[in-house]
Amino acid sequence: MGGAVIVMTTSAADIADFLYREAWCLDNKHWEDWLALYADDTVYWAPAMDGDEDWTDDPDNDVSLMYMDKAGLEARIFRIEGRDSYATDPLPHTAHLVSNVMMQGEADGLIWVSATWMVHSYMRVRGGSVRGGLYHYALRDTADGLRIVQKKIFIHDDRIVGPIDVYNV
Amino acid sequence: MVSAKELVDDRPEENVFRVNRAAFTDAEIFECEMTDIYDHCWLYLGHESQIAAHGDYLATRMGRHPVFIIRGSDGEIGCFYDACSHRGSKLTGRTSGNAKTLVCRYHGWCFNAAGACTLVRGGEEAYRAEDLDRMGTDLRPIEQFSAYKGFLFGCLDTDAPPLDEFLGGARPFIDLMADQAPDGMEVLRGESRYIMEANWKLQTENSTDGYHVATVHRNFATTVGYRETLAPGGDDGMAKTEASRILSLEKINSGGYDVGNGHMINWADRGNPEAGPSWPQRADLQQKYDDGRVKWMLERGRTVTVFPNLLLNDVASSCIRIWRPVSVGVTEIETWCIAPKGEDAEARRARIRKYEDFFFPASLAVPDDVRAMEGAQTGSEALDDGWNDLALGHKTLVDGADEAAAELGVTPLNSNPGREVETPFFAFWREWAARLSS
Repeated sequence: MGGAVIVMTTSAADIADFLYREAWCLDNKHWEDWLALYADDTVYWAPAMDGDEDWTDDPDNDVSLMYMDKAGLEARIFRIEGRDSYATDPLPHTAHLVSNVMMQGEADGLIWVSATWMVHSYMRVRGGSVRGGLYHYALRDTADGLRIVQKKIFIHDDRIVGPIDVYNV
Repeated sequence: MVSAKELVDDRPEENVFRVNRAAFTDAEIFECEMTDIYDHCWLYLGHESQIAAHGDYLATRMGRHPVFIIRGSDGEIGCFYDACSHRGSKLTGRTSGNAKTLVCRYHGWCFNAAGACTLVRGGEEAYRAEDLDRMGTDLRPIEQFSAYKGFLFGCLDTDAPPLDEFLGGARPFIDLMADQAPDGMEVLRGESRYIMEANWKLQTENSTDGYHVATVHRNFATTVGYRETLAPGGDDGMAKTEASRILSLEKINSGGYDVGNGHMINWADRGNPEAGPSWPQRADLQQKYDDGRVKWMLERGRTVTVFPNLLLNDVASSCIRIWRPVSVGVTEIETWCIAPKGEDAEARRARIRKYEDFFFPASLAVPDDVRAMEGAQTGSEALDDGWNDLALGHKTLVDGADEAAAELGVTPLNSNPGREVETPFFAFWREWAARLSS
């Protein structure tokens, strides 16, 4: 791009649509389409709780619930599709509600976005559960469309019943 | 009510050891456990590094009793029942925090970190001196509190033998984790608590059960193995996982021990020990300890299950797991990553990533364990006379030490080659039955 002025053409509606698209992919189990929304240099990060009000914030020194690169995400799909994981077979029905989508700024070619989520998850052997939290996204507008460069998921539930995985947060 | 003692069918002369599945499902047995075991046994509370500063506290539970540990102004740690001496309100407002003065949120009585009452609101105008004397205004410490190499334990029975004696044969194995670092170990930030809809003893068994690894965790091994193919070279060095070990059981030395007092050891040689995060300490450790001990520290993955509800797991990463009974069919589980203080950055990062791979409810392993144990809970309801016959490995059980134990200079009550054995469970169930009064 050199010194050219970058004119952002991505609208708030485009961003919200993109987040809904991700949720749709997960709820409809279109795993490869979901993975394609992530940039090759992506970071997928769910920090752990640190005390009653805080979250861990240094993934190299603190433990996170999940901290993965794109290979880690692809491995999650491998795990799901392999049907060899007791926790993942049967898969739950999930319904993501993604709301309060707001653009928080643009810097270094990234669009920072916040949103709120709730996921209803149901599996017959366990019943239903609802979890909620916040998303922080860093998105990159590419020739192929928006891509997720970072997704940070704050999972508010601390006494967790049932597995946490990419499909139910 | 069924007698708890009858649930363990232990006939050594006939080589029979069975556990009736009612042990996992009977609500009256659970009530007995809460009093006969949890009110009398040493229980793990936390690690000293978690409450490093004056006023740092951790609120937890011993059986049914809420308690908290707190660091005093003199650096000493105390453990108190978590109830105001006035009218019993829980004093700690958080699971963890800092309070040099604990103020009861109900009526404002204050206590210092040594448990002494520093303020009765209304004071002498409101109370006669003899009334306050009769009440006893200071917080009540738990009956016994002690530490072993940074691991903090409490016991609600004044007459229980000292902690060192209780840990007994488990100590050399705890040392293998605690003594790995020149400056000691620390618990890392980042917490997880999860609920298992199964009896707590299924987690005790699972923690030392080498037999489930190749089935329940086959998926873990193939998944991280697959991930390594996606990033050739990217997962080399310390980031390399030990997935191969799970899938190639026959090629490694492994075993299980009963080390007395209900404590169980399961171990297996590591597939690629140089990928272990403590491997960089090797030269230092070799200066301090003999070869056998260093080999045990760095080249053997170990699970140390301390009766009744603590696991120290030092395998690809290092984990403290505690499981607390909620009801006969519900258990709350808490895990922490423990690491050497001042650990090299690459090792720390690798340790954390491997911990996340395995030990959290968002990992590639724990959710499968939880489902397996929940399945065992449900299935245990199927028969009125269902027995778990723990015969696996019984034919290879030997008294005393095996070659590997001798390398560490310890003599377990018995040893068994191979980690696919159920005989270490005898240790737990014998202690369990001995502690139940009826």
